[in-house]
Formats: sequence, C-alpha cells, structure tokens
Amino acid sequence: MTGSAEAKVRISDVDVIYPGALGASAVHALDGIDLAVRDGEFVSLIGPSGCGKSTLLRVLSDLAKPTEGSVVVAGDDPRRARLKRKVGFVFQDAALLEWRRILTNVALPLEIEGVPRGKRLARAQELIDLVGLSGFERQYPNQLSGGMRQRAAIARAMSTKPEVLLMDEPFGALDQITRDRLNLELLNLTQKNRMTVLFVTHSIREAVLLSDRVVVMTARPGRISEIIEVDLPRPRTLEVRETAAFAALANRGVHLLEMGSKT
Amino acid sequence: MRSASGAKGQPAPHRGAGTRRMLTWAKEALLPPVAVFILVVGLWEWGTHLFEVPVYVVPPPSRIWESLLFDGTAIFTHAGITFFEAFAGFVIGSALGIILGTAFAYSRFLARGLMPYVIAANTIPVVAIAPIIIIWFGHGIISKIAVTAFLSFFPLALNMMKGLQSYDRTVMDVFHVSAASGWQKFVKMRLPTSLPYVFVGLKLNVTFSVIGAIIAEFVQADRGLGFMIMTAYRTLNMPRLWAAMLVSALIGILFFGIIALIERLAIPWHSSMRSNQKP
Ligand SMILES: Nc1ncnc2c1ncn2[C@@H]1O[C@H](COP(=O)(O)OP(=O)(O)O)[C@@H](O)[C@H]1O
Ligand SMILES: [Mg+2]
Repeated sequence: MTGSAEAKVRISDVDVIYPGALGASAVHALDGIDLAVRDGEFVSLIGPSGCGKSTLLRVLSDLAKPTEGSVVVAGDDPRRARLKRKVGFVFQDAALLEWRRILTNVALPLEIEGVPRGKRLARAQELIDLVGLSGFERQYPNQLSGGMRQRAAIARAMSTKPEVLLMDEPFGALDQITRDRLNLELLNLTQKNRMTVLFVTHSIREAVLLSDRVVVMTARPGRISEIIEVDLPRPRTLEVRETAAFAALANRGVHLLEMGSKT
Repeated sequence: MRSASGAKGQPAPHRGAGTRRMLTWAKEALLPPVAVFILVVGLWEWGTHLFEVPVYVVPPPSRIWESLLFDGTAIFTHAGITFFEAFAGFVIGSALGIILGTAFAYSRFLARGLMPYVIAANTIPVVAIAPIIIIWFGHGIISKIAVTAFLSFFPLALNMMKGLQSYDRTVMDVFHVSAASGWQKFVKMRLPTSLPYVFVGLKLNVTFSVIGAIIAEFVQADRGLGFMIMTAYRTLNMPRLWAAMLVSALIGILFFGIIALIERLAIPWHSSMRSNQKP
C-alpha cells in the first residue's frame, strides 16, 4: 500500500508563498506539504479557512504554481496532466454558462477537447443520467436549484473521465437535506467508478463519511497537522453515521481541529 | 377538454392563453401611452386655438399634420438620407469600437497607453469636431457618416472592454482546467459574457448617431433632416420644422426598436431580458 509507484498524486515538500501586493506582507499559504494519494483513494482536506486547502487543489490543477517542491499528478507534472485532461475540478460555485442548456454545459470540456458533437452529447447525456439530472438536460442553469446546478458541475467535471477529481467545498452552499443526498450519490459514484478524489470540506462528518483518509490542516502557515485513517467498511451508506466507530472518528477530527485553531 | 387542464390552475401554454396574454399586454403596456398621446394632442390643439398662440411659437398639431401630408415625400426623402447616414456611421463606429475595445481588454499596454487619449477625444463636443471632419471628408454624405462614426466609437470601445473583462473567475478556471485555448475562451466565454455590455453601448449609439447626423447636416448639407430643419428655421416655416423634428424622433425610436429586437434574439438568457418584472 505504501509503494510510491502506485501513488496517483504525489505532493513533495510543497511551499506556496503569495507575494504581498503593495505593502502587504507575503502570505505563506502552504508550508512543507507532503502527501501521497493512492489510485482510487478518496482523501478529504479539512482545516480552518485560510489554511491553504484551495491553494493545494489549485496547485494540483495548474491554476497556481508551487514556490518550492514538486508535484506529480497521474504521472505528469500538473501542467501536462491538465493538458492531457487527467484532472477534473468541481468548485463551490457551479460556474455554469448561463446561455447554455444543461446538456451542452456538461459537454463543454469535451467540446473544448474537440470530441465530435454526436459523441460528446451522448456522453453528456450518460453523465446527466448518472448524477440524477435526467429530464433537465434541455433546461437553462437559472431554471435549476443550487443542488441541481452542482450536480451538473460534477457531471461536467467527470465528462473527460479524469483520473483525479478535485472538489473544493462542492456542497458548501447547499442546505443540509440536499447535502445529505448529494453525499450519498457521491459515495455511490466513487464506489462504482474508480476515481481518485481530493475533497475539501468544512464538515468533519462529511469528510469521515466519504473518505479513506482525512487530512487535517492548520493555518498560517498552512501545514498538515494530522491524517486520520477512516477504516469504516465500504460500501457505505448514510447510516454509517450512526455507528460508534463513525462517532469516534468524527470526535477525533473535531478535537484535532480545535487544537489547531487554538495555536 | 382543454378547459379541464386550465382549471387545474396551471398556466397551460395554449393558444387561448397566448392570445389572452397579448390582450393583457396591449391593455397594460399600450393603453397608457396611447391615452396620454390622445390627451396631449387634444389639449395642445385646443390650447393653441383657445389662447391664440402664434404658429411660429407653437403650431397646433393639425398644422404639423398638414405639413406632414403636404411635404410628406420631401420629409421622408430627407429622413431616409439622415437615417442612412446615422445607420452607416453607427455600424462603422460600433465595429471600430468593438475592435479597439477587444484590443484594450487583451492588452494592458494598449489600454493604458491609448485610453487617456480616447477619453480626451470623447470629451470634444460634436459641434466642434463636425466642421473639421467636414473639411476632411468633403460636403457629401461621407462626412456625415464620419461624424456619426466618431460619436459611436467611444461607447462601444468602453463597453466592449468592460464586457470582455466581466467574466466569472471560476468559469475562467473551468476553462483553464479543461485546457481551453485563448481563442476558445474568447469565443465560448468572454464574447457571450460581453454581449449585454455591447448592447448597452449599441443602444447609446442609436441616440448619438441620429444626433450626430443631424448636427453634421446643420454645419453643412444640401439634404437630410438637419438641412430641412435649418431651411425651415430660416424661412420661419414652423409647422414644417416641427414635422421634421417629430420625424427625427421617429427615426430614433425605429432604430432603437431594431436594436432592442436584435438584443432580445441574441441574449435571451440575460436577466434584464426576462420580461416577468413589472414596469
Ligand atoms: N491569489 C492570492 N493572492 C494572495 N493571497 C492569496 C491568494 N489566494 C489565497 N491567498 C491567501 O492564501 C491563504 C490560503 O488561502 P486558501 O488556499 O484559499 O485557503 P482555504 O481554501 O483553506 O480557505 C489565505 O491566507 C489567503 O488569503
Ligand atoms: Mg477555500
């Protein structure tokens, strides 16, 4: 399990320092991050805001450059991995194009890739069915609820069959019931389709429910303080949250987060 | 059977409902301005007669109407020329504005270097620049088009630049992660995002270009509404002057209507286009 060759994502001693703009001091967003994520593993990142969770995902997707250290994503550096479309990204905001229907929104990455129209629309339809949006493919984004928009964003991110899926608080803006339902569907999705996922959340319970490992971070500078192994059996359902093992893991996470925020 | 589905309280998209909506629209949107029009024209006619207002101060509507009927062909020929000048200048100026606005959005150096001068040029009153442009481009229609194009240029350059810069950062990230080229980002995202801004600029230009054409005709012309207004003024033919003025307003409204219609067709997704807000 620890063999370095099978790591899907390898982050080695990564620092990110944002230069301060006009008199403001530089921000040490990430400091000496080391993390290897196995193929097919679901890893959550949790920590106080400003601890560099988004920055880490942005480094992996070539939206930001590390100041120090090296990153390997699916066997390539982030730029190559991005150009080979090995990375999918779901943001907190669905960021759909308001002038396109759901079907063509989901097909956008394939359209950019140059996949022929018939083929990409068929694939988009498949994904729409997969995320439970069947019947809404002809709608425009503003006709959909927040939860449905986020489903469309997930379908879009999965359209190019990325090897690594990055999710930055994808359910952060949703109500609890919608969030529960989407958690369940994400569980099913990742258990059925082998995907390597890095998932940022503020909810320790969500992290424990979904993950194989939960990475707890501290802020200023952003560091990994602890990694919780979640050894709950799979396949999981929402009911796993009522078990004693789940409660113990969640409590440990809460405790670690509190310790981190005191220093 | 049709009434059964209507009875469920659902606004069924039947032809009957559509016709009814048209009727409500006619009643709510059309009736008030028409009523005001009739009232104002009536009071105006009655007032000018009652207070014996001299025709050169305010001609009664009936005299203006007579003038329109009598001079109809002449007025509409001149109006056609002015409309053509305004439209041609509008198209040329807007197109140049779009090109420069795009360059500004993509090149900081160009935007920083040229923007102060473009703003300075825009503050020149059109009455001051028109004679110069006429010297350059001659006495014909070309010089009127040039004045109009000059006026149309700035609103579009500015709005095009703003529009191209107003994209959502996260949407840009989505395109970047999808390995989109710069051209794909432009065509599939920044251009569609800019359209609502472009139409703001185009609508401003409608007004500016009619004004520009008429002012250029004031300076020097032997045809067009501006020319007609000037000659009517010199001969104190006030009903004719008023008729020409009303027709020039009509041109503006017609022109604006065309652009608004194109906007409706081009960007139906834009929130300001959704007509469910009450006026
Ligand atoms: N583009 C940027 N320029 C300067 N500072 C930034 C930038 N992005 C993030 N930061 C700073 O880096 C730190 C980490 O930010 P972020 O990765 O967004 O944290 P998180 O997602 O955990 O809340 C914060 O202090 C934030 O203010
Ligand atoms: Mg964040």
